[in-house]
Amino acid sequence: MKRTVSYPIYAAAFAISLAIFVIGIYIGMQIDQANVRSISDDVSNISEKVASIQLLLLAEGNSSSFCPVYASQLDSIDQDVERIGYKLAYLEDEKGVFDSELKKKYFIMEAESYLLSQKVKALCGDDSILVINFYSNAGCGRCREQGIEILKARDALAAQGIGAKLFSFDGEIGSPVAEAFARQYNVTGYPSVVINGRAYSGFRDSESLQAYMKAAR
Amino acid sequence: MDIPDFLNYAIAFFSLFTLNVFILLYLRHRKDYHRPLKHSGWMPSVSIVMPAYNEEKFIVLSIRTLLDLDYPADKLEIIVVDDGSADNTYRVAKAFEGQNLRVFTKENGGKGAALNFGIRKATGDLVATMDADSYVTKGTLREIIPYFDDKDVMAVTPAVKIRESSSWLKEFQRVEYLMILFSRKLLSFIDSVPVTPGPFSMFRRSVFEKIGYFDEHNLVEDQEIALRIQAANFKIKSSMTADVYTEPPDNMKDLITQRVRWQRGGIRNYWKYRHMIRPDYGDFGMYFVPLNFAALTAFFLLLGLLVYSLLTTPYYVQYIWLEAFGMDITFVTFVGSFVVLVSTFFLWLAIRSFKGERVKLRYLLSFLLFYWYIMVGYNVLFLIKEIKRERYSW
Repeated sequence: MKRTVSYPIYAAAFAISLAIFVIGIYIGMQIDQANVRSISDDVSNISEKVASIQLLLLAEGNSSSFCPVYASQLDSIDQDVERIGYKLAYLEDEKGVFDSELKKKYFIMEAESYLLSQKVKALCGDDSILVINFYSNAGCGRCREQGIEILKARDALAAQGIGAKLFSFDGEIGSPVAEAFARQYNVTGYPSVVINGRAYSGFRDSESLQAYMKAAR
Repeated sequence: MDIPDFLNYAIAFFSLFTLNVFILLYLRHRKDYHRPLKHSGWMPSVSIVMPAYNEEKFIVLSIRTLLDLDYPADKLEIIVVDDGSADNTYRVAKAFEGQNLRVFTKENGGKGAALNFGIRKATGDLVATMDADSYVTKGTLREIIPYFDDKDVMAVTPAVKIRESSSWLKEFQRVEYLMILFSRKLLSFIDSVPVTPGPFSMFRRSVFEKIGYFDEHNLVEDQEIALRIQAANFKIKSSMTADVYTEPPDNMKDLITQRVRWQRGGIRNYWKYRHMIRPDYGDFGMYFVPLNFAALTAFFLLLGLLVYSLLTTPYYVQYIWLEAFGMDITFVTFVGSFVVLVSTFFLWLAIRSFKGERVKLRYLLSFLLFYWYIMVGYNVLFLIKEIKRERYSW
């Protein structure tokens, strides 16, 4: 029997596969962009919520009568802020989608909610702990590890009924807000952790962080 | 795009390409697929060789269906070879001995040796192998004969099926067998049938003189002989109507054991015939033999990538796993879902090509969902056995 190779079949199969691939990648990119837009919308929504609380604070002066409202509103805002941060990180880590404008916008919103939390904490005298994680994705060997340790410390304290709010800033993407914050707390290297205003530079493990956080209450 | 992404793409592309080749083969040959063969009327003498090892339970039905074949008795010869069974196989078979059925017994020596023993006794123009746990239907033989009108055809594979049952594992395998059968038919259009299954594959008796008998030390001797026939550039055709029903493993352990054996023997056989990766061997050399190596490589790569992605999942994902899942529906996963879509389409093509076979939707779905896990099971075991250089035997 004389054998032949069915080149036309393979060429057609290759072409069809390629077409499906191109369509798949195109749709995938659209979805990635939609994800970025949806996160961007979330950021705007939270900024509005923050603004409304700021308004209320301004209107009420330094009266602490609205403290329960502030507390409950801020808790949900800070949780959302944190989740959006993870989503951004996930897009960047797993999908390779990096949008520096969105990150800068996120940091502004984060700074707003941080400052608001700080103000309400002073006004209402609650014992919540505000933790800032200064990191950099460029050439910071232990930043990723530090992020995990902070989360572990926060979860361990939460199990003991001690609440802490997390904020993260990438100090090296050219965000004026992040840089201003870093200057304010004398942060020069990464990773650095700021707990209720006090800065700890260099890597710290979960146990040390828990001790600092308890001490800061 | 980093290296894992690139590999994921490569594997997805490879899977799509392979599926598309099969789908295109179907589209191109769909007329031949359903057209009944013209028969010259040649009525060759046929010998059926049935090795049996500890098959006292099933052999009665198997012999009865053979005796019941619609074929002139003077042209049919049945040779049962008891391969040194420990049970009553020999006595049970002996009771059927008669004009055209002979029963032999020999020391245990493995299936290949028993087959060769029987084939050497055979006198027919054609020789079929048969498994003692499989059953033919009345018309099975007549469906196969016409393919031998083509002088280049040295072997014809039957439609090995599993009877519909209520066992999940059996129905699962039934879907798989239908899919394999469908694929084998498509491969026959490009002269690339890679196996002549134990139950009722038919050979021209002269082929054994030309290329030798079954390899008695092979884990999958019914595949090795098919590869040898291909290497000699003879044709193997595939019948979709010559039904033969086989008894599949009915528990997971036996199934995995069977598949590990197929995998270990199979990949060794392809390696043995790797010299066929040349244009002289047409589609078989340029597509099918390399496909087997590529598929195995792709499978382990994919498994590795999966483990890698699980190990490198960022810690914070636990707080947003639902959202992360949503965000994952992008690049790689989107292409991946195309692969699933095209596989489903292929499965649908396969099942609907069988007129009389009905498969319940839940079995089809569970096949699509769980086949991967069973593959993982036996492939990992296969890998472990190979790494440990475990003894290679039945």
